[in-house]
Amino acid sequence: MTILETKGLYHDFKGLQVLFDVNLQVQEGERHAVIGPNGAGKTTLFNVITGTYRPSRGHVFFKGRDITGARPHELTRIGMGRSFQITSTFNRLTAFQNIRLAVLSKRGIRFQMFRKVDGMGDITRETDEVLKRINLDRERDMPAGVLSYGKHRSLEISMALATDPDLVMLDEPTAGMSRDETHHAVELIRRLTEGKTLVIIEHDMDVVFSLADRITVLHYGQILATGPPGEIRQNQAVKDAYLGELEV
Amino acid sequence: MSPTAVLYVAQAIHGLAYGMLLFLVASGLTMIFGMMGILNIAHASFAMLSAYFCYQVLLMTENFWVALLVAPVVAGICGVLTERFLLRSVHKQGHLAELLITVGIMMVILEIVKAGWGAESLVVKIPQSLSGLVNFAGLTYPIYRLFVIGLSIVILGIMALILFKTRLGKIVRAAVSDADMVSALGINTPLVFMLVFGIGIWLAGVAGAVAAPLLTVFPGMADQLGMDAFVVVVVGGFGSLLGAFIVALFLGELNAYGIQFIPRLAPVLMFAFMAIVLAFKPMGLFGERE
Amino acid sequence: MRNKLYKWILWGVVVISVALFPHVVGIYYSNFFVAFAIFSLYAVTLNLLLGYMGVLSFGHAMFFGTGAYATAIALTHIKGFPLLPAVLVGGLAGGLLALILSPLLVRVSGTAFAMLTLAFGQLIFVVALKYREITGGEDGIGGYSIPPLNIPGVVSIDMTNQINFYYFAIAVIVVCLFILWFYTKTPFGSLVVGIRDNAMRIDYLGFKLPQIKAVNLIVCGTFAGIAGAVHALLMKLVSTVGVLDINASFVPIMMAYIGGVGSFFGPIIGSGVLHLLEDLVIRFTERIGLVNGAIFILVVLYAPMGLVGLFREAKAKWFHEEKVS
Repeated sequence: MTILETKGLYHDFKGLQVLFDVNLQVQEGERHAVIGPNGAGKTTLFNVITGTYRPSRGHVFFKGRDITGARPHELTRIGMGRSFQITSTFNRLTAFQNIRLAVLSKRGIRFQMFRKVDGMGDITRETDEVLKRINLDRERDMPAGVLSYGKHRSLEISMALATDPDLVMLDEPTAGMSRDETHHAVELIRRLTEGKTLVIIEHDMDVVFSLADRITVLHYGQILATGPPGEIRQNQAVKDAYLGELEV
Repeated sequence: MSPTAVLYVAQAIHGLAYGMLLFLVASGLTMIFGMMGILNIAHASFAMLSAYFCYQVLLMTENFWVALLVAPVVAGICGVLTERFLLRSVHKQGHLAELLITVGIMMVILEIVKAGWGAESLVVKIPQSLSGLVNFAGLTYPIYRLFVIGLSIVILGIMALILFKTRLGKIVRAAVSDADMVSALGINTPLVFMLVFGIGIWLAGVAGAVAAPLLTVFPGMADQLGMDAFVVVVVGGFGSLLGAFIVALFLGELNAYGIQFIPRLAPVLMFAFMAIVLAFKPMGLFGERE
Repeated sequence: MRNKLYKWILWGVVVISVALFPHVVGIYYSNFFVAFAIFSLYAVTLNLLLGYMGVLSFGHAMFFGTGAYATAIALTHIKGFPLLPAVLVGGLAGGLLALILSPLLVRVSGTAFAMLTLAFGQLIFVVALKYREITGGEDGIGGYSIPPLNIPGVVSIDMTNQINFYYFAIAVIVVCLFILWFYTKTPFGSLVVGIRDNAMRIDYLGFKLPQIKAVNLIVCGTFAGIAGAVHALLMKLVSTVGVLDINASFVPIMMAYIGGVGSFFGPIIGSGVLHLLEDLVIRFTERIGLVNGAIFILVVLYAPMGLVGLFREAKAKWFHEEKVS
């Protein structure tokens, strides 16, 4: 089943065309990477899909429904999760409190004003479980802002996952990470997106080729090519666009 | 000329004069915000301080022109000192802290003024040379208000010349637009900040001193002026001099006619308008910066 | 376990002190304490916006003042208006005002929010001055007396007795403070704090941002209105001075900051400090505003987390040294 689809998607900023007739299809359960040179429009594509922007033209379909122009919170509630290129967590709150907010959302607890949140045992348990799965259980009570870069990015990724979405959209999750941290992050992502659909923007080609089932190459806002990694590696147009960056 | 026409024209002049004063105050405020990201809550307080200085110098020298010259400069110096010693230290804490410190400065200036000159209204008399009326095209105009309008135009003309025709002006305009960029180009931004802040305060000081004979000089004088200046900056657009100009004149006229014809509704309209602009176009009608 | 015992003892001491207070120090200081309590509640509601949700309410007096005027108007125009409803009507008025303004207020944050609340605060101030028929203009509304506390069929407590009023007022405020404290500990409370740190993320987690902001605003408006209502009862006179003017909006900001915006009790401490300071300074000079302003500037410059922040820093240092040695 096509879980995510964009049809004839255009987007411009005050006359500057950023996305140009983007027709993307993501199959349920697949791991789909979006790559392209800087400024190709990858993050804009994410922003349009996840509701930050309303596209200038075109439609976005999620699980068969037209979600064009829907707001982020609506999309999260129907099963989309998103992480950001620039870490976007609650920096003054502890790792535990960060994840707990996501757990509360997942459980639909939004306007609860009659119980102490600390006293909700099942919420606490589930939050601790999530922390354990992402190896942040020792940093449980540390403010997110003082976490090491790698751990902070892990927290960022898990904020996208903690609402248990069916479609996970990660924007350059390994940006700025060391070799080691990247390796751990990839393992984490692989483990946590088991049974889910993943769309990932990445610059690190090792990550792309080890994770992706299919790759879409974006160039100046247009899709240059879509296909399995082997095909993309051979594609001449893609090679020209990247000027040899794809040599792995 | 019919009496109503005379009334309308008189109100128009009053409105224009007040609008010009507002623009003097608001121009500094909007440039400071555009460049430093600080909304100076104490801006009108410096105008008030200058009005008090004007009174004092007038008392001591009996010369209005000297007072008009000296008071704004002293106020400007106070402004520069404030920027150097208070605002700069708080800059790293973020916009909220900067906003709050200007609130504290506003309160302190208010108390200083009360301590120095008491809480009653002071009278600053219009100098002989500028008092009275003049006849033109069958209507009479109060000379002092024409002087206010004229002086404002002259000062603003000089400012415009400096801003648009000199290298320094270019730097300042660039800094108002994007201070980080200017800093990256090697320009001494702290110095530019201090300069613009000082000039902005000086402009407010000129408005305060010139307004002293028109508005009553009392500790509450900064409230009305300040609030109106905020409305001008908010609606006109943070960092936009053109926006400030248009809205200031509009507000001046609204005030003048409003007080005459719809005294209870005028302030409500003004605030309602500001609220709507803020809610739907938070950068103002002509603004660019956040 | 020991910690809990200490806490209970501490609270016990506080409760007993507060209960015995008027009998020990007399009427003047009892009223002084009630004023301190009123502004504590008022400042706490401001901090629920500032420290907890991250927005500066620059015209907070509009909620306080609307509550005060509502109570005064009810007591003046409706004969036999009972006590508790008089207080609740103040809260209702404050909450209603917040509800009406919320569609605009939730759209903005940061400087724009501060400006918008400033504008509305000034607007309501001007309206109160100009619409004399309702608000009494500059003279305000006065001459009403505090109705007795009536529990039908059980007891009627005369509130013109200042000691009785003391207990009533303190009880009301303590209950309100407890409700607000509990509110911050609920799941909804944690959402509000989330907004302060990262509103966008709250949106992306699936929460409806405008609704959450609106509810928090209404809660703050309601309890600020209750503070205003109690103030109206204490002073038996409501005018714009100290209730709707710009000073009335700045006082809670100062209190919250001086006490510490990072804690629930900070504003209460700030209220205490400012009240004590005023009482002390007034013996030497009238320039209490100057002292307040100067202290405020110093706090913003050197101790932005307020007294509570300084205390926490000191505690951390002490513990660190203990560990090291």
